[in-house]
Amino acid sequence: MTTRLPAGAGVGFKPEHFDAILADPAAPIAFLEVHAENYMGAGGRPHAQLSALCERFALSLHGVGLSIGGEAPLDRAHLARLRALIERYRPESFSEHLAWSSHGGTFFSDLLPLPYTPETLRRVGDHVAEVQDTLGCRMLLENPSTYVRFEESTIGEVDFLGALVARTGCGLLLDINNVFVSAVNHGTDARAYLADFPFEAVGEIHLGGHDEDMDDSGAPLLIDAHGSPVADPVWALFAEVIARTGPLPSLIEWDNDVPAWPVLRAEAARVGAVLTRHASSAVA
Amino acid sequence: MTAKTTFVAATLAGSIAAALGMVASAAAAPAAPQPNMDKCYGVSLAGQNDCAAGAGTTCAGTSKVNYDAKAWKYVAKGTCETIKTPKGMGHLKAM
Amino acid sequence: MTSLASFAGALTAPDRRPPPEFAGHAERRFAVYRNNVAVALIRALETRFPVLISLVGEEFFRAMAREFMLAHPPTSLLLTSFGDELPDFLASFTPAEDWPYLTDIARIEIARTRAYHAPDLVRLGADAFSALMSQGIEALRVRLHPAVAVIHSPHPVWTILAMTSGSQPAAAIDDWQPQAVLIDRPELDPLIRPLTLGTALFIEALGAGEPLGRAASTAASRATDFDLSAALAILIGGGLATSIHVFDGDLP
Repeated sequence: MTTRLPAGAGVGFKPEHFDAILADPAAPIAFLEVHAENYMGAGGRPHAQLSALCERFALSLHGVGLSIGGEAPLDRAHLARLRALIERYRPESFSEHLAWSSHGGTFFSDLLPLPYTPETLRRVGDHVAEVQDTLGCRMLLENPSTYVRFEESTIGEVDFLGALVARTGCGLLLDINNVFVSAVNHGTDARAYLADFPFEAVGEIHLGGHDEDMDDSGAPLLIDAHGSPVADPVWALFAEVIARTGPLPSLIEWDNDVPAWPVLRAEAARVGAVLTRHASSAVA
Repeated sequence: MTAKTTFVAATLAGSIAAALGMVASAAAAPAAPQPNMDKCYGVSLAGQNDCAAGAGTTCAGTSKVNYDAKAWKYVAKGTCETIKTPKGMGHLKAM
Repeated sequence: MTSLASFAGALTAPDRRPPPEFAGHAERRFAVYRNNVAVALIRALETRFPVLISLVGEEFFRAMAREFMLAHPPTSLLLTSFGDELPDFLASFTPAEDWPYLTDIARIEIARTRAYHAPDLVRLGADAFSALMSQGIEALRVRLHPAVAVIHSPHPVWTILAMTSGSQPAAAIDDWQPQAVLIDRPELDPLIRPLTLGTALFIEALGAGEPLGRAASTAASRATDFDLSAALAILIGGGLATSIHVFDGDLP
């Protein structure tokens, strides 16, 4: 098994939805995901809410700050905090990003892109192995959305992720919106990317909304803003992936301009409908 | 130290007894607190670490004026305009 | 310099062009990352300091937050602690010099966010104090709940808080007096209450580990109207303490 998460619909939990979720026992939600860093305080409301939610839902713990692609050694204190959270809440999954967010002692609070080179592969592989050793569990690594590409990259992103799976035994979190955003931004083909993706390693899928902008040359530039409904082309890619893999734990991320609960619930219901439609599909 | 500011056990015991009496009669209920700040200001402290791109896409990152203190004219437009600081207090340094 | 080092350097240097390592037209593309960093960090401050925003307005606050973020970029990846240096920054921030009370308001907001995340510890009720024997009582020390903080200011910070939250109409404050506040989190919501200067000094001294007798002397010597019974009533009635210690030396 790549994951212990149920192969149903999930949403990124937002504290403003807490009361609405509790008042909605029929919500079409199989699991919730939270950002690990937001539960690293000692006590108070965040933990009170998370404890209550864990009574009812499977939990995915999603890290957003470990800087697994960073040049510096991993932050040991942060790994210890992650381990404590995992021991406290026993989440069904832990995931982080193929990205960096700290450099030279400064934390940038953004998921920044990496050059895909043999050197980066070795470093990220070492870091993923260290995370798994420290946390005592397999982790999922998420494909990023990117706005620039490095001239020095010599390895394709899919091959890079596949090599990390082979080296470390980690699983993957496939963010289909990120696939679409990066493909549009770099003029590549999202379907070609997905055709080669190592689906056997995928333990979770992310879906989210993006914004549209333009770059200096007037070419479309999509921004991974998580502030709107999932776009139609992303839904189409999601259905194609699920037709191929069978149902997987699939999550809606909505972090900016957070809508009222019924709106997010309807997006999750749409995820559930796609999963149900392909419930009998063979797992790739 | 002066005798006036030395608290002996007897004084303290008496004060604790008086305090307990005040607590029991709810007379010690401290003055009404500030309303819940989360509700008051519509902010949630629970989710500061995020993985989404910032709203406003490229504008804040490109706008030079926002980085340049000299080009930015600070004009406060908030309650501090109404809460007039008495003359001379403007240069009072916080303790 | 590695690609990540030049990328990191250009993220917070506004007049620096994007590093040359990128394929294609990268100006606006790199600006997305700059924007993300700025927006995320400014937003973290907006979440933490709503009273400051209310006082100076959103535009002023964001411009100030941007300068702060460039001068004091976060070193911790937990944004809950980002902004700890804001009071000191404000104290020497020229555009804010007409409002010297902003520094103490920022301190109150920091205490409030710390209270929000403080550990869940059991508080002592009145029975724990009613059981105390009078002998040796002056040497007793209490440990305060970690959510508890006292801030006293040369400015009327409680009145200013009340005016920004709307519980009191905003107006000129003619009687500009020092005020103190207590920050605590009795359940899940942080609360801020006014304190007399004497009670503030007393609770502050207890928090610093002083025994009851010395804390009372400290408060009485600095606040002429110090009322020990009233101060103890706040301590006991508010459930500010988590334990009572009879021994000397450092608290465990």
